[in-house]
Formats: sequence, structure tokens, C-alpha cells
Amino acid sequence: MRYREDRSRRKWAAMRNRPGPPPPYEAEFRPAPRPATGSTAARGAAGGPGGSGAPDDLNDGMLAVRASEGDDDAFAVLVRRHSSRLLALAQHLLGDRADAEDAVQEAFLSAWRRLPEFHHAASFGTWMYRIVTNRCLNVLRRSPRPLPLDALPEPAAADAGSSPPRVCEGDAATAALKRALLELDPELRACWVLRELHELHYEEIAHVLGTSEQTVRGRLYRARRALTEAMRPWR
Amino acid sequence: MALDDPHRSSGDRPEPVDTMKAPASVLHEAELRAGPEILPCGRPVSRAWEQARRPAGTPVDPHTGTCTWCRQAVEGLTALDRAARALRTEEQPDGRTLAQRVVDAVRAETRLGAMLLLDDPDQDLHIAESAAAKVLRRAVDTVPGARAISCRLVLVRGSRAVHTVALTIAAALDQPLPERAEEVRGAVLHAAHRGLGLRVTAVDLTINAVLEAPRATVDERSTGGDL
Repeated sequence: MRYREDRSRRKWAAMRNRPGPPPPYEAEFRPAPRPATGSTAARGAAGGPGGSGAPDDLNDGMLAVRASEGDDDAFAVLVRRHSSRLLALAQHLLGDRADAEDAVQEAFLSAWRRLPEFHHAASFGTWMYRIVTNRCLNVLRRSPRPLPLDALPEPAAADAGSSPPRVCEGDAATAALKRALLELDPELRACWVLRELHELHYEEIAHVLGTSEQTVRGRLYRARRALTEAMRPWR
Repeated sequence: MALDDPHRSSGDRPEPVDTMKAPASVLHEAELRAGPEILPCGRPVSRAWEQARRPAGTPVDPHTGTCTWCRQAVEGLTALDRAARALRTEEQPDGRTLAQRVVDAVRAETRLGAMLLLDDPDQDLHIAESAAAKVLRRAVDTVPGARAISCRLVLVRGSRAVHTVALTIAAALDQPLPERAEEVRGAVLHAAHRGLGLRVTAVDLTINAVLEAPRATVDERSTGGDL
């Protein structure tokens, strides 16, 4: 019964970010991000293109066992299930789509090679978060780069004379937050992104970053202090 | 009061004031960016934030109700929360192209495992354990209410081409487990003998997870398609 983890169910539910109905192709290509021991009918679940894959109604833990024994179909299901979320993480950490794709691809290949030694101490998802985050932090350590100003829209100036429509104001605030994030120290940025955008628990963040919960709390506090200051015009 | 209360997934323990105070050295950077740690009213910023994140229904303390400095600190946090919420609900990047690239790369470096002798008259044909196991897992998946988890093939001691299969499965509880186990054994032996031409004398079965609902049969058309 060790695969029926309520925690993972809650996390999956919480991380479903996509509002509205998915595009029609999604159903056949990417399984719904939910734990596999749910009650979905399994007919036709031998998912994946070509129908030769592992059933995508299996949960991550089962798929990871199959993948660790060399079942590349099972791994393919895991990759499709997690790629968008991990790409979002890497993009928030690196601020660049191409770099983020490289980081996630390398992380998955590394995971494929290391799966036989993966002992399920954490969930597969948390393990992947760890590999991707480490890779991103390494990239940033190797080549601390200037903020890619062209990659993000300029925030609309907090012009006292105009009152832009609420939606534009929201977009500008979001853009400002993205810019402020990239100015943060990478370790603080990782903490904040994992907590606020990916809604991981302190304990999970500590595992992902290989540090203590206490340190995570400290970093989160510092990240919030810096970010609230950057968001001052949007109060 | 947890400082992260706005999140559905939070539910963490409260965040006491003293654990939120980082040592002076690490705070230095944040202070440079965000002003002093202690508000002019004498309260730490963290204390004002805690008031902002107090559970609904908890009374506001008298100080926070009237203090301009505390109110400003709270407004800062609220603005950040609002922007974070917007960022959280942004469309995730489309990872499908990336996923396909990863899958292609993974398939190019398939882990074969041991090479197993098939049960042909000359005994000179081999199959990779990972390929054989994949076929046998698929055979398990065709049994309604069963899903393969682990599948290992073990050479019987002293033989060249006789194997046992060690199988871990998840099973639904809508019919007695022994019956389902027999179905699974039958499917695996059939796939091993007829599909692969592999001599298997025993299937050791462990059920270590429960499927919540009965499962329909996975379409058999693709069984063995990877050979």
C-alpha cells in the first residue's frame, strides 16, 4: 500500500496550474497529472504515442520501479508527466527558456542512469525537483550572468497620472516579480520558487536543496524581504 | 499562525518569531535591500507579517490595528502574495517537445541487463532481460485488475536456459487475490512460452499495492511490440 500516498495526491492536485479544459491533443499525449491509483478506467491507458507504452494510469512510484529495471516506456510516461512543471521551475530559476530546456533534459537523462540506485526515500517528483534544482544552481554558479533584460518585459512604470486597467496592472506586477526574482541570490530564489510557485513543504524544500528546514525558513524570509521591497510600487 | 497560510498545500507548523530571525550576518544582504529588520515602531517585520497571516477569526492585536509601520509592512507582503498568485496560475511552459527529445535520448541508451538464452533447440538465441521483462509486464497489465510493478528474470541454478520470474504487482480487491494471482501467472507463462520462447518454470508473485478500482484490460495489440 505504500504507493497510495495522500500527500502526493494533494500535491498533484495543488500543482495543476492549467485553468480551463486542456487542448484536445493533450489527452493522448500527456496523462492528467494525478496519482495513478485513482479511479480512472484503464481501457486505452496503454498510453503514449503508438500505444506501446506502459499504462499511464500507474502512479509515479510504480513507474519508477519499472523504469529502474530498464523499462523505457515507463520512464517515458514519467517524463511526459513531469516535463512541463520541471521546465517551469528551471525557467524561473534560470530566466531563460533554452537554458531551462537544457537543464531539464540533462536532469532527466541523469535520472534515467541513476534510477537503479533510486530508493524511493522521496517521491520521484521530489527527486526530480532536486536534480533539476541542483543543475540550475550549478549553471548559475558556473556562469553568473547579468540579468537578461531582454527576456522579460519592462514593468510598466508606476505612473501616478494614469490608471491602467486592472489586468494590465496585474501583468506588470507579475513581470516585475519575475525580474525581482532573477535579481535574488540563486539560493534564495530557489527556496522562494519551490515554496510559492510549486507549493512544496519546508521539509521537501530542505530535501531538494540538501539543507535543513531551519535554513529554508531563513532563506524564505530573506527572499520575501527582498521581493516585498521590489514590489513596493504595486502596494 | 503559519506564515504561509494562503496556500492550500501548506498546513505547516506555525512559524515562531525567533526561528524567522536569521543571524545578523545573513540578514545583512536583505537589510540592504529591504530596509531595517526592526520597524520604527519597534516591532520586527516578521511580527507584522505574522499578524497579516493569522488565521481568519483571530483578533488583530491592538498595536497592529493602529500602527502605520506595521500596516505598510503588511501591505508589502500582500502585494507580493498577489503577484505570486498570478505567477502561480500562469500557463506552464509546454514541455511536450522537450519530453519527446528526452524520450528519444533515453531510448538510445537503453539498459539491456543480462542476456538470457531462449529455449530454442540450438540454444544460441538470446534476449535482453530488460526486453523480456517489458513483455512480461505488459502481459500482467492485460489482466483486468492487475498492474505489473517489478519484474525480474532469474536463471535457475545449474541450468543454461531455465528461468524463474520474480514479479511484484498491484491488484484490485474486487475479486479474491488468489484467483487474480492465477490469472496473472497464466498470462505471464503464456507470454514467456508463446510470445518469447523463454523457458520459465515458476512465477513468484508478490502483491504489494492495491488498485482502488477494477482495471479493464490493457489492449493486447501492443504486447511484445518491442521485440
